[in-house]
Amino acid sequence: MSERIKLKVNGITEEVVVEPWWSLAYVLREVLNLTGTKVGCETGNCGTCTVLVDGKAIKSCLFLAMKARGKEIITIEGLMDKEGKIHPLQKAFIDHFAVQCGYCTPGMILAAKALLDENPNPSEEDVRKGLSGNLCRCTGYVKIVEAVLAAK
Amino acid sequence: MGDYQVLGKSVTRVDALEKVTGKAVYCTDIKLPGMLYVKILRSPHPHAKIVSIDTRKAAQLRGVKCILTGEDVTQKRYGSVVRDSAILARGVVRAVGEPIVAVGAETIEAAEEALELIDVKYEPLPAIFDPEEAASTNPPVIIHPDLFKYEPASSFFKLGKRLDVDRPNVVMHFKIRRGDIEEGFAKSALVLENRFTTARVQHCPMELQVSVVQPEPDGTLTLWISLTMMHPARTEFSKLFDLPVTKVRAVQPYVGGSFGRSSTRSELPIAMAMALNTGKPVKHVFNREEMYYRAGNRIPFTIDIKDGVKKDGTLMARQMNIILGGGGSAEFTVGLVARNCAFGAVGTYRIPNFKLDSYGVYTNNPIATGFRGLGTPEVTFAIESHMDMLAEKLGIDPIEIRRKNILREGEPNVTGEITHSIGSEGCLDKIVHWLKLEEKPQAEGVWKKGKGFAIANKYTLAPSTASARVEVTPDEGIVLYSGAEEVGQGCDTIMAQMVAEEFGVSIDKVKSAPNDTSHTPFDSGAYSSRQTYWSGNAVKLASQDAKRQIFEKVGEIFKVSAEKLEMKDGFVCVKGLPDKKMELTDVCGSFAEGKIVGNATFVQEFAAEDPETGQIDPKLAAEGKRLNTSYAHTAKGVEVAVNTETGEVKVLRCATADDMGFPLNPKACEQQAEGGLGMGIGIGIYEEVIVKDGVIMNPNFTDYRMPTFYQMPKNEDVKVMFSPVPHKDGPYGAKGFSEGALAGMEPAIANAVYRAVDVRIKDLPITAEKVLKALKEIEGKK
Repeated sequence: MSERIKLKVNGITEEVVVEPWWSLAYVLREVLNLTGTKVGCETGNCGTCTVLVDGKAIKSCLFLAMKARGKEIITIEGLMDKEGKIHPLQKAFIDHFAVQCGYCTPGMILAAKALLDENPNPSEEDVRKGLSGNLCRCTGYVKIVEAVLAAK
Repeated sequence: MGDYQVLGKSVTRVDALEKVTGKAVYCTDIKLPGMLYVKILRSPHPHAKIVSIDTRKAAQLRGVKCILTGEDVTQKRYGSVVRDSAILARGVVRAVGEPIVAVGAETIEAAEEALELIDVKYEPLPAIFDPEEAASTNPPVIIHPDLFKYEPASSFFKLGKRLDVDRPNVVMHFKIRRGDIEEGFAKSALVLENRFTTARVQHCPMELQVSVVQPEPDGTLTLWISLTMMHPARTEFSKLFDLPVTKVRAVQPYVGGSFGRSSTRSELPIAMAMALNTGKPVKHVFNREEMYYRAGNRIPFTIDIKDGVKKDGTLMARQMNIILGGGGSAEFTVGLVARNCAFGAVGTYRIPNFKLDSYGVYTNNPIATGFRGLGTPEVTFAIESHMDMLAEKLGIDPIEIRRKNILREGEPNVTGEITHSIGSEGCLDKIVHWLKLEEKPQAEGVWKKGKGFAIANKYTLAPSTASARVEVTPDEGIVLYSGAEEVGQGCDTIMAQMVAEEFGVSIDKVKSAPNDTSHTPFDSGAYSSRQTYWSGNAVKLASQDAKRQIFEKVGEIFKVSAEKLEMKDGFVCVKGLPDKKMELTDVCGSFAEGKIVGNATFVQEFAAEDPETGQIDPKLAAEGKRLNTSYAHTAKGVEVAVNTETGEVKVLRCATADDMGFPLNPKACEQQAEGGLGMGIGIGIYEEVIVKDGVIMNPNFTDYRMPTFYQMPKNEDVKVMFSPVPHKDGPYGAKGFSEGALAGMEPAIANAVYRAVDVRIKDLPITAEKVLKALKEIEGKK
């Protein structure tokens, strides 16, 4: 039975009708047209679907949309401030050449934000551990680690 | 190298902002009104006759709009080297995963449910999985009985057919013959023979491959593709559907990583057939399992190498027999790679007597296709493992055995091609200095450590085609139209840098038009690390064409000769007279169209090899003609730790030194170099697509182990160095090297493992199981 639910996405309350089997990733991408969040595996391995749900990094491909009812969701589109200035993490990824094909980037940045919000002064090992749920094929992870450490 | 303003500088990548804000569009983000979603029913059998297909129940499902089988689409075949692929299988399937039925429905759920309702009856046929057996002169199974009737695919590579009349499953047999191989062995103090094998690997781009096709009201088709070689694909598939190429438009959004997978064409023809059949826009998205089956695997290699050396390590003779285990269809590269992998054995060393045979072979395994390096890393694994083994047997320094055999500028290589721009020695020097091989690392408990290195080359193939256009308008400023394809490697940025340099402006003054065949000129696309050289030269020439016209025009206005003019900061100025200048966009008004247009097609003549000997005509070589565009060179160094109780191998430190001619954007070069190190660690130690009886056992990210943050060493233990040697024909001396970034890692790791625990693994990946087994055998012998 489809249901009408309310969720707050990037500060805006959205009301959507969702089927019980829809993932949050599906609702964000296909219903709300926020295509910055990606889908890479649908098994929770790659992390390209990572969004923040009540501040926690969540793999939205495995998170049922109905569970998002009443929650605060941040997607990559919501990281800019109200004046359109990019988040320090986004700037760090640009400045430290941590972006190549860009497909892992939205999920990676949000996972990094969750990490820094919880641990504002991580070691390199903390960064590797905190982001270990996100895969990247292009970079060898080197400049991603550099960018996250620079943004702390 | 010149004194440049923009080139050679690590300018911010032009695509970075879009990508970090989520604004970058990939194929999967394209949504069109009234779109049908395509799901595909695939063969569960590696080799079978299709007895019957019953789609009646599925057709009645609500939301299902179209069901296509092989009977409903053109019987014409497509391919990239040989036209051996059916859009949807007819009569026979030749691999697990081959598409049989395509369903187009209003929702993904309806399409998926429809698949469950389709009943296909098969009659399994004997299948063949062993590439050596398949390559024989009398194989028990002939996979394509009509192979000799298939057309060569002319749109991509003009290789023609190089079938082997004695071997019915061989799609390409490539040969190199130089000198007298038996005499070479006879004159050798040491002859060593070994077999090396490499596993199937998956590219694992984060992006899932997507095709979106829209039939337009004017009868044209628009394709949005997450594939590379957009222009050739458009040409090939226009032909396939008997459409004039002018009626097909291909658009390429950002590609989320290629690594060679985007050279496979699946399932674009299915999406096109569905769109043409229904008149509706159509979208097919791979799931991750389909990526393993149908975006293709790196072709597994079986390499028999026999080397003859003098006592001092001088190479006298090398013989290589290489079997490439392709799948049920040859795809882009079983044919191409079977030829091109040989250049991995050509570009580095001086060998007076050389014999190589490589065979691209069909089996009933899933598709094996292009992968970063197009066979060079695999061949290098054999060669560079062997160089260490030779050195050890001779009792000489493994660094010296390489140094003394490296080709010098101006020397012929084993195809007779004259060596130019070879940075091998410089790369080797840098790695050797970093690695400090003579300092043996201390064991730590059960972890024994060892160091290893390897050198490698990566050719860029020839011939090729690239055109570019640069326009200057008062409203837009400078806009570049180039078919060069951004797949993450940074080519949009370096192309914009070239334009910025030529026009004397900062890079933010250059805009790049998105890739769209309706306005970007022809470029063969991203493969073989060709874009730096080919697209780059076209971009440079187009910029210079525009400048020539600008200087002519402004020369008339200022009444000075064109040589007296230069570009500076967006102005055309008279040299030495800083106040006599005209803003570039004001110059536009003097042109008939109100805009300046610079065009160029980069053309260069190359030689073709003799099909029997692989040799270039010596006369052409003497004239400076080459077989290949260029060679990038690299050296890799690693320090590993091996757990003597579990066999686990860990890379503690790794480094690369790369010769890319001229680093157009040093940080962007580092990006590719680091990515290559990471991928090399994966392929060297962890990654294997496990296939049993034609079925992939691990088609997902849980069971297939691509490197995570944990598999890379700490940042301070990863080093990237450059040792560039300019190429005389490369733009500003530059050559492509993104594939070279991978080459050499696997043998460096194998050599390091040997030094750590005396175990020589000749079969990739170097898993804990293999190492442990070998360690136990050593124990047993004691």
